[in-house]
Amino acid sequence: MLEIKNLKVRIGDVEILRGVNLTVNAGEVHAIMGPNGSGKSTLALVIAGHDGYEVTAGTVTYQGRNLLDLEPEERAREGIFLGFQYPVEIPGVNNAYLLKAALNARRRHQGLDEIDAFEFLKLAKEKMALLGMDPKFLNRGVNEGFSGGEKKRNEILQLAILEPKLAILDETDSGLDIDALRSVAEGINSLRSPDRAIILVTHYQRMLDYIEPDQVHVLSEGRIVRSGDKSLALQLEEKGYDWLREAATA
Amino acid sequence: MKSALKIDALREAVARMPNDRLSDARLAALQHLDDQGTPTTRHEDWKYTNLASVIDLSNQWLADGAESAPPGSDSATIDAVTSRFDANWLIIANGKVDLDSIALAQEAGIGVALLSDSIATFDFDAPLADLNIALLHDGLCLRIEAESELSKPIGILFIDNATAAVGVTQARVEIELAAHSEASFIEYHASSGTASHYANTVVNLDLGDNARVSYVRIQDRHHAHSQTNRLGVHLGRDSRFSHCAFDLGGKLIRNDLNIQVTGPGASASFHGLYLAGDGQHIDNHTRIDHRVGPARSRQEYRGILSEYSRCVWNGKVIVHAGADGTDAEQTNHNLLLSENAEIDAKPELEIYADDVKCAHGTTIGTLDEAALFYLRTRGLDAQEGRQLLTRAFAQIIVNMTPITAMQETISGIVADRLANLIDGVE
Amino acid sequence: MSTSSEKLESLVNRRYEHGFVTDIETDTMPPGLNKDVIRAISARKKEPEFMLKWRLRAYRYWLTMQEPTWSHVRYTPVDYDSISYYAAPKSDKDGPKSLDEVDPKLLETYEKLGIPLHERARLAGVAVDAVFDSVSVATTFKEKLSEAGVIFCPFSEAVRDHPELIRKYLGSVVPQRDNFFAALNSAVFSDGSFVYIPKGVRCPMELSTYFRINAANTGQFERTLIIADEGSYVSYLEGCTAPMRDENQLHAAVVELIALKDAQIKYSTVQNWYPGDENGKGGIYNFVTKRGDCRGANSKISWTQVETGSAITWKYPSCILRGDNSVGEFYSVAVVNNYQQADTGTKMIHIGRNTRSTIVSKGISAGHAQNTYRGLVRVMPQATGARNHTQCDSLLIGKDCGAHTFPYMEIRNPSAKIEHEATTSKISADQLFYCRQRGISEEDAVNMIVNGFCKEVFKELPMEFAVEAQALLNVSLEGAVG
Repeated sequence: MLEIKNLKVRIGDVEILRGVNLTVNAGEVHAIMGPNGSGKSTLALVIAGHDGYEVTAGTVTYQGRNLLDLEPEERAREGIFLGFQYPVEIPGVNNAYLLKAALNARRRHQGLDEIDAFEFLKLAKEKMALLGMDPKFLNRGVNEGFSGGEKKRNEILQLAILEPKLAILDETDSGLDIDALRSVAEGINSLRSPDRAIILVTHYQRMLDYIEPDQVHVLSEGRIVRSGDKSLALQLEEKGYDWLREAATA
Repeated sequence: MKSALKIDALREAVARMPNDRLSDARLAALQHLDDQGTPTTRHEDWKYTNLASVIDLSNQWLADGAESAPPGSDSATIDAVTSRFDANWLIIANGKVDLDSIALAQEAGIGVALLSDSIATFDFDAPLADLNIALLHDGLCLRIEAESELSKPIGILFIDNATAAVGVTQARVEIELAAHSEASFIEYHASSGTASHYANTVVNLDLGDNARVSYVRIQDRHHAHSQTNRLGVHLGRDSRFSHCAFDLGGKLIRNDLNIQVTGPGASASFHGLYLAGDGQHIDNHTRIDHRVGPARSRQEYRGILSEYSRCVWNGKVIVHAGADGTDAEQTNHNLLLSENAEIDAKPELEIYADDVKCAHGTTIGTLDEAALFYLRTRGLDAQEGRQLLTRAFAQIIVNMTPITAMQETISGIVADRLANLIDGVE
Repeated sequence: MSTSSEKLESLVNRRYEHGFVTDIETDTMPPGLNKDVIRAISARKKEPEFMLKWRLRAYRYWLTMQEPTWSHVRYTPVDYDSISYYAAPKSDKDGPKSLDEVDPKLLETYEKLGIPLHERARLAGVAVDAVFDSVSVATTFKEKLSEAGVIFCPFSEAVRDHPELIRKYLGSVVPQRDNFFAALNSAVFSDGSFVYIPKGVRCPMELSTYFRINAANTGQFERTLIIADEGSYVSYLEGCTAPMRDENQLHAAVVELIALKDAQIKYSTVQNWYPGDENGKGGIYNFVTKRGDCRGANSKISWTQVETGSAITWKYPSCILRGDNSVGEFYSVAVVNNYQQADTGTKMIHIGRNTRSTIVSKGISAGHAQNTYRGLVRVMPQATGARNHTQCDSLLIGKDCGAHTFPYMEIRNPSAKIEHEATTSKISADQLFYCRQRGISEEDAVNMIVNGFCKEVFKELPMEFAVEAQALLNVSLEGAVG
């Protein structure tokens, strides 16, 4: 589904990604771990199409297409979803309104009919019930005045409604207490399916106690320095990232 | 116009000034002043402050022969101020520079000279600054080098002793901070004597790249004396300017603080507290020109007004085209303690760049009745309650005083002044 | 992120939708202003003698006054001798008596404007007084209103039919010599709307006036007077459009509102005068004096405005809070694009005890436009217990525009509680990216964010106006982002 080859990315003069290779197939869950500043969020934002980063080398292929040619909204309509590390507040813009606009943009793109307010509300309430969310959420401004946990939950709600093919969840676990983490993880698990891929970007392995990844990658100084199964995450938890760094230089 | 400065009398007075290196500047300033005229309340920047009383006083002084008072003056006040705040004090008394204080400062390693001995150039940009140059006997010129290691702040004491029938004095200090230099300044204004007096002071401060300045201004003039005062600041690249001002005394007081951000990475914080009692009019105008970005500015002014007093706070932030990355905030809070007090507040934002973050907030009100009641249920009487709340309100600015060693003393001075103000409040 | 802001600046320009000229014969006076012109206007309107005298007095004041220069706008000076001060559709000299008599071309114009005149008016439950150039062409729903005792008619008709009300209230809020443009309006105003709501009456429908300037080289000087007698309520809507012309046209209106004891007036404006083209050529000079007097205790006046048009806007809908416990409100959205300039805001003058005012101003600047909020909150010494809250936000789209905030607070009573907050920022690149990541186009995202920014004001508008206002906003900003 997603194939990244030798991806190099810089901001200004600083090279952040120095040749990343990654292949993600439909139905898989990948976890990308790494210390702060290793380039995890950059990778997520580049896949989503943020224009603050300059791709200097490499390719990103998504469902056989060159992803780097597409505008962010085109990528979204093609089924890429980024759950932001820090979701922004958009004051005055109703949550339901944004979601319905987003959903219909995607449906138009797929050649489907737009859904009306009534259908949308039904769908949204269904998904919210599934995630154990208060329906009042819908009538609030996008992330406006939300707590950290509410913002993250709101991202998962959007994920559930938009039903993307590839979901990248950037530090969705950070800032959540254990109960919130559990319910967010349940939400994510319920969205696992054979035709959907999920990339979890995280600093800690605690999220992986709830969501079992097929593969774990460690990103360090702009490169994937090791890949493995979920036991790699446990090793990291135990030994920290320095162990890998030492191993890499040794 | 009714209260216009009598320019012919002024011209004669300027002609009588000594022939020295400032002579050309005086004539140029006079010409510029003549072209512009003195400001009236029709000028937007002077809408709430009528200068008629000080212009009348100046005209009277000119008519009386424009005599300057002898420098010999109020040594008791000088001692009181200089002993209260530990600093290397430079003294300008009745508009005349105290040469002994220059010598002492030089001994302490401060680069200071008379303005007339320096190669100073002047901007002719505001009528009162022009008046200042036109009638200036002499002033001070300071240069702080990068390697200067000053253990104490530099104090500049402007003191006037009003013994003549009417007095008008001009004083001026030009300060230059070399790149990477650092210094603290105390600007103190005091006056004594019961005659009418008007002082017009100008300080210019030029911060080189990466220079750091802490600056505290205290104005505690006699309640019958008026003053206009201007502090002009240029901020170079990555320089840092921290300022706090306290207006306690005086009759008609007008302070202009003009800051030019000309170097990226500069930051300015400028705060102030004004306490006005019966018959006082205190006007603080601040203006910051963000000419380049990124840069950051923060200001918070607070005022407490009692009896027949009037205060003006006008904060202007201008973000010029291209000054992207500017982050500016201004705040103004006022407590009105009397039915006869008036506050005129005007927080202005003028923005010509889009990548900016600017905000201002102003509040005007009186003491919180609920808080007062709460204090009374805890055993404080109403008067004590008011004292406590007003002191807490003022203390926020005191705590921002960048020369931290001064905070305790200033806190005491502010408390004394507040005790006076609140005395009459029911 | 810089690419995103560059894109922001380059989004296109949709054309002004209402920029057609209606081809009908007009009865236009030759340009220039003197006493004879004023006499002629008065005669054509068949005005009583007192009205002519009133106009001539205003003209004498005007001659002694200077055009104000303090506002934050720049424009080529108006040549008052080149303007025609009266233009009326010629088709029926005595004015139409019913909609059937109105020139069908005019009606077509209103159709194009989307005005709910005619059957649409009935369906919408809105009574419309349409002022075309200088005369009032049709007032719908007269009968239903007169059953309730409400007078809603063209100003010129009120002068003839209700002279006692005109004498009593005209100029009582905005005196003839109030300012340069008000004096000019007082001398030459040609028509406008008059509303009187009797004691205790809740006006059964929303009243509405559409103004349109059609003829070339004419000024429009309409005058609106609304009196809400004790315990009454009225909601009044005003909409404005003008054709595209290369030259600037002057619009100098005066609106006076009077709310007596326990009365409420809600006045909403959607102003979409022609703003000039993308190079700043043409457009309306909109120099308007609007003021409401909360004359009685417990009265309330609420101004809501959505200003998207005009080359220059100079407008400060204000409230004089004279009655005890009276309430003044000002909700404003001002959008400027291309080379538009707006200097707008309000004055809240607190005189009575326990008077309250609220100001919410949202300014949006794009292109090379300049947007200024200018407001005054004054609390007089006798205004014990006065309250004001002001929120003033500016949004910048593009690096060549400006947003300015000049609030004045003059407070002379210690029991006053005044709070003022203002912010200025640009549309954040993070917000845009967030929306785009969800599949929403950049242009839609900007509209969504801007509408969200204005929400507090839009919710004050009557429903049908709110929809129109949002649409208008999107049109105005097209071209600002891309």
